[in-house]
Amino acid sequence: MCWHIVLAVEEMMNDSYVYFIVALLPLAAFMLTIQINPYNALVIRGILGAIAALVYAVLGAADVALTEALVGTMLAITLYAVAVRSSLVMRLGVLEDGLLKAETQAESGDPSAQLIADLRTIANKYHLRLELIPYADPKSLDQALLEKEIHVTCIARSHHDTHDRSLHKSEGRPYSITTRIRRLYDILQTDLSSPTTSLTYVTAPDSGEKH
Amino acid sequence: MINVLSYFCIGLGIVFWFWGTFPMLSKRSILFKLHSLSVADTLGSMSIIFGLLLKIPNEWSLLVLALLSLAVWNTVLGYVLAYCSSSGRNDE
Amino acid sequence: MNLVLIAMILALLIPIYGAWQDDDIWQKMLAFASIATKTSVMILVVSVLRDDWMIGVVGVIILSVGNAGLMLLAQLIKRMNDS
Repeated sequence: MCWHIVLAVEEMMNDSYVYFIVALLPLAAFMLTIQINPYNALVIRGILGAIAALVYAVLGAADVALTEALVGTMLAITLYAVAVRSSLVMRLGVLEDGLLKAETQAESGDPSAQLIADLRTIANKYHLRLELIPYADPKSLDQALLEKEIHVTCIARSHHDTHDRSLHKSEGRPYSITTRIRRLYDILQTDLSSPTTSLTYVTAPDSGEKH
Repeated sequence: MINVLSYFCIGLGIVFWFWGTFPMLSKRSILFKLHSLSVADTLGSMSIIFGLLLKIPNEWSLLVLALLSLAVWNTVLGYVLAYCSSSGRNDE
Repeated sequence: MNLVLIAMILALLIPIYGAWQDDDIWQKMLAFASIATKTSVMILVVSVLRDDWMIGVVGVIILSVGNAGLMLLAQLIKRMNDS
């Protein structure tokens, strides 16, 4: 009798680790689904891939495990990292002599450096990367916005109020930010609570592009 | 005798694993965690694989390859991670 | 040997929990590195336990190649943080 129980326990113990290992797989998958930051999700995807390779190997499918480790974990994560990095970006067009100089000098008291820092904080909040693209004059800046090279432009008023008379109503706001994307406009209007900037939304021609 | 020695090596490796992984849950700096994790992981894994090698000597080529790649890659990986995480920290 | 494997699974749960509760990306990378090493060693243990040469080869390949992917990902994340 006693011997039977020992045998039964041994039988159960014999491959009980398989159940534990298989139970790790849904745990890791659940962890992956609750991630918000895309980069964190990529790392968790790597963890899921490692655990999945373990499960496949334990269940005896060595070829599947090898494929999961090489293609599913290594190649897919690298490609996705490149894709996420190049798509989650907010391209901000600035003038070469104005804001960019303030950014490189990075004086904390300077209002334009402060503005760029604010924009960077907002972009980071939505997991976007802020990329500053310099242009030579306001004309080419507007042109680039309409041709969808950049998403947002940011100009200090003193540079371009000789060109543009229609923005007179925003006196005393030395910075004007223009975007062509509705969602960015909403985000900036909600989060950018700076009294020194005016925000405008323009529709680029042929707005078939979805964001 | 060999059997006892192999179990001892495997047990030692698992103790190393636990000892190196527990600091991960604490609130220390990332480099401290990286140090303890890489040292204990590498030593523990090498100890476990050495125990397996004593247990089944006819798979020695495979296990020696595992030992070598573990020793080389984990060290390099530790350096790469430390370099990347510390320089990322300085820029912010 | 079964007890050894169950102890290894318990050791594997610690970095999984560590990756869950901490939001820092380097913490998650650390957990990923730890889990990658631990899972491949576990594959090797299972291969020795079953005396299966094929699973052992897969374990060694994962051990040596998986780390390369990890370094690639670390460099990418670093570039992303820098810019």
